[in-house]
Amino acid sequence: MVKYLSQEWRAEVEKRLKEQLTPEKMNNLTSSMNNLYLNCPDGKIHYFFVGFSEGSVESVQVGEGEGPKAEFVISGDYDVFAKISRAELGAQKALMGGLLKLKGNMVKALKLASLSDRLNKIIATIETEF
Amino acid sequence: MFDKSSPYYIDFPGRIKAVQAEMAKEKIDLYLGSRLRTMSWTTDAFFPWRSFIVIPADGLPTAFTFVIDAARAADDSWLDEDHVMGFAPMGGQDQITQISDLIKEYLPHGGRVGVEAGMSNYLPEGYLTHYEYQAFEAALPDCTLVNAHPIIDRLQMIKDIGTINRFREASRIVDIGHEAVLAALKNGGWKGMTETEIGGLAGYAMRKAGSTFEWSFTGGNEIAAGYRTGLAGGACTPATAKKVEAGEPLMVDIHALFALACGDHSHNYLIAPATKRQLWHAKNFVDMVDLTLKTYRAGISPSSLAAEMMDFAEERGFADFMVPGFEHGIGMLGDEWRIGRHDGPFAYWTDPDHEYLENEVLICAMQYACPDENIGFRYENPILLSKNGCEYMSKFPLAIEVIE
Repeated sequence: MVKYLSQEWRAEVEKRLKEQLTPEKMNNLTSSMNNLYLNCPDGKIHYFFVGFSEGSVESVQVGEGEGPKAEFVISGDYDVFAKISRAELGAQKALMGGLLKLKGNMVKALKLASLSDRLNKIIATIETEF
Repeated sequence: MFDKSSPYYIDFPGRIKAVQAEMAKEKIDLYLGSRLRTMSWTTDAFFPWRSFIVIPADGLPTAFTFVIDAARAADDSWLDEDHVMGFAPMGGQDQITQISDLIKEYLPHGGRVGVEAGMSNYLPEGYLTHYEYQAFEAALPDCTLVNAHPIIDRLQMIKDIGTINRFREASRIVDIGHEAVLAALKNGGWKGMTETEIGGLAGYAMRKAGSTFEWSFTGGNEIAAGYRTGLAGGACTPATAKKVEAGEPLMVDIHALFALACGDHSHNYLIAPATKRQLWHAKNFVDMVDLTLKTYRAGISPSSLAAEMMDFAEERGFADFMVPGFEHGIGMLGDEWRIGRHDGPFAYWTDPDHEYLENEVLICAMQYACPDENIGFRYENPILLSKNGCEYMSKFPLAIEVIE
């Protein structure tokens, strides 16, 4: 069991993504996504950043604050992201319901919707303490 | 089209710079366009969904449209995919949030934002709605929204050579449509044919020749047979299932689109047998069109032309059948109503005393209607005004033929 958004959780996410997401499965994508967690239990803003280069997981980062620049920034409450990471809520449903806010080129984001689902499904398999 | 050596090349970056220069003169920090005419004129792409364009004080503009069509619009436009954004009903991705977020990036301390507010009798015009205006105002508390569409209107009036050549090509395509209609009608081919069928076969011929759209919002190709040609003031006849009948007039008003330039030419027929009275009406109309085309030039105005032409109609005894208007405006798709600027006596209508300028393009348009006799004719043809006359772009011979 690892704590959500901790360095241990980050390492487990990176390990599983690298194991399970081949460049082919990621459509040889080069992009980056930064999730901004608002209203966290500790009162701070946290981020979870994932960068891909030609389909390979290049960087997985977590921390306090707004984190590195990314092609897509998704912001929302900690509780909403936690539900997505527990597979209790779909990311697209959260976006369409206005629970999450996406910043970035929507046309490009459309192409990435299924890839994002793949990523979230893997994250949901990690035994996590929220 | 984007090759500078193409006859159809338009300097779109130059157009944006011209807008930016006018913005600077009027102390406008950013222009938010929403009209279809503005979208076409700035992007070179057709934006059928609700769309916007953000033109900053310097640099490239960014267009916004419904996400399902943004990739296609970007593919058609001179702008790249990073400058044609799609909006959608998602957190942070609705049109008000997306556009106001970008405006805040350009104007972090606020500023004067030019918008397009007004009215039109053309439904797809695209002025900002009351709701949109209020929503942008609320989302941009540090900005002041000011009406700025006259900037685009002024710049759109005089056509550059690329635009003129696109109109010439659209008109050439329309002529092919008319040739196809004439070939289908003659030698009894008209028997059993409906208005919609004529509109369709013209459309097919024009598409084969390169047209992308029978663009008119008034029903695509406007065809009228019999009494429908003579409806009072009837300059709008979406085709119906009415059949062409012997002894009746037939009006064929067809539209092609080439690279967002609108071809628009109307031709008229009498289906045999034609009465002497019908032939008298037909001669009146052909003579009127001929005189009008010979009269058009830069320096005259809609009102002076109308007065001169109506005097001619009065002398010949057919003034009662003429609609006293002889043109409508035209430009790239979405710009198809008023002529020139609208600073005349009635807001957002053509100024009747607008003095035509060289290299203005407009549609020479005339409507002849005699409802009591179930007969009428329409003429439309894009014309390019010069100092001493006009070039009529559709070359289909002026006549009202009797079709056996």
